[in-house]
Amino acid sequence: MPSTLIEPTTKLPPSTHPFAEIIHRLERGGSMLPDTEENLMQIIGLYKAYAIPMDFYWRDLLYIAERVFLDPVPAFKYFLPKEYLELANHYAGDNADLRIWRGYATAHKELLEFIEKGELKARIPKLFHHFYHDRINMEFAEECMRAMFWHRNMGGLLEPYMDSAEYKQNADRAIRAYFRDNPIMLGLYKLFPDMFIEQCRQATMYSVLGLFWEVMCPVFLEMSDIYDEGGFKGVPDAMNFLVNGIFAIAGRPIYHRVYIRGEWYDIVPKSKGFTWLYEAAFPYVEAVFYRTSPFRGTKSYNAQAREVPDDQNDFHYGILYADKFPVASAGIPPTLLHQDMYHFLPQYLVDYYQKFCRGADDMLIQLGVSFQRSMYNVTSAVIQAGRAAFLYPLDDPNPRHLWANRYYFEGQLNRFANPKYGMNKAARILAIQSQDYR
Amino acid sequence: MATIVDIAVSNPDFSTLVTAVSAANLVDALNSPGPFTVFAPVNKAFEKLPPGTITTLVQNIPQLTRILTYHVAAGRYTKNDLRGRESIPSLEGTPIDLYITAAEFEVNNATVIAADIEADNGIIHVIDTVILMRPHWFHPIMRWGKEGIKSEGVVV
Repeated sequence: MPSTLIEPTTKLPPSTHPFAEIIHRLERGGSMLPDTEENLMQIIGLYKAYAIPMDFYWRDLLYIAERVFLDPVPAFKYFLPKEYLELANHYAGDNADLRIWRGYATAHKELLEFIEKGELKARIPKLFHHFYHDRINMEFAEECMRAMFWHRNMGGLLEPYMDSAEYKQNADRAIRAYFRDNPIMLGLYKLFPDMFIEQCRQATMYSVLGLFWEVMCPVFLEMSDIYDEGGFKGVPDAMNFLVNGIFAIAGRPIYHRVYIRGEWYDIVPKSKGFTWLYEAAFPYVEAVFYRTSPFRGTKSYNAQAREVPDDQNDFHYGILYADKFPVASAGIPPTLLHQDMYHFLPQYLVDYYQKFCRGADDMLIQLGVSFQRSMYNVTSAVIQAGRAAFLYPLDDPNPRHLWANRYYFEGQLNRFANPKYGMNKAARILAIQSQDYR
Repeated sequence: MATIVDIAVSNPDFSTLVTAVSAANLVDALNSPGPFTVFAPVNKAFEKLPPGTITTLVQNIPQLTRILTYHVAAGRYTKNDLRGRESIPSLEGTPIDLYITAAEFEVNNATVIAADIEADNGIIHVIDTVILMRPHWFHPIMRWGKEGIKSEGVVV
């Protein structure tokens, strides 16, 4: 591997893992992403470019979960009403529940400007912007939601709750209220109740992802501000900032409620005790970073030839494994997200991309690779947060504890070294060790 | 003898825990006949958590309750009773992992610094770290790490 050799911690013999060097780096409190100035610049720039569309994603996800709900023809679900653009973020602004991150509660200024004029920089009717895709591409956010919804059994208590009689009862109440004046839909509900309940579960997942990203948005913006002020000394600083954020917000409630004719209907009440870490963050990382689903685009998979795993646990089509092709999809690689981030890149990254590859012509690919680096860093933060929460300090004096930490790191990295279905070849972990991967 | 709550209240090392238990309205439950086995974190254990963690939990009582009930098991279990067991179910639902030898007593990643404190309605084991529910993927990942990449089979 090209990065500088990292000595193992002194108390244990060197790791014999195929990614031993990365294991040693993690044991020293580092990230899977090497600590270089170029990497730091790329990942922070991307966090900023991601945070602004994310400010739209979480607001619209909650709007769909709470207001659009089971609308059979949700043609205008991406047209966010003012009320949701002004919805106060629980973790930003003067009245925030927890004021760790600066920034303000309502939609970001750059986002509002973009919604107004788009890339075309023209005030033309919204519908034209929409069909020209000159807008925030919610299709990406919905693809992430679907990945979480489809890959069930990823832990947490929300999963079993969505199959419980209590959930169905709550959903039933909301469905009946929502379609109170619509006898056709009520008749269909009587005929196919499970279909409606399943749609309701999907709306719940919209809410879960919305509440998850509501937190990440101010976190990423804060990281960009700190970097601009010269506050991060390296990649591990950026990772540790995320680790602290994960801990701070771990207990944030995850819920789903629907607003119907002036009344809130709880489908997943806050009182169930579901949390951001267990019911949203862990399932999100698993479903979106690791798994998702085989993408349609330049590469085809033949399920009959067993090119697609029988077992969903083996799915490996997430961002950490993605080839960066411009397939223009919402899935992986998420070109539509790249397109969204492209509009909000800091100038230093635009200048940087001009110098490499085909400059402006393949900027979507270059920023996609930077995004992949930034998500390896987020995954590293999740791995380190898991180590801190469930295992031991990196300088623990007990060798048995240090071995447990090592097994944990090696187990995590096995997911990128597994020859099954060529996962080891698909994983980009080795590629991101080099600055030449663009 | 005193109840679990009485013992905790009388010891200043548990003041954070007592505040949390009161905020979560668990005082009556822990004063009930039980019996319970409580893994009680000392103040220093809470101080180890990064800033914000406690604030968020105190603002959200059901979520705080969930974390606290993860520190409690139904039944009265001394260290000796638990020897030979790999885990014990918590009231929250997720098992608490145990590691017990003659000299050592650990629950998840916490060390028991004082074991077998008898109360009327149960037993207290004092721990040095707040324990958090280990997710379902935790043990498969640990096994896979221990057995090495060649074992391949992991269900996450």
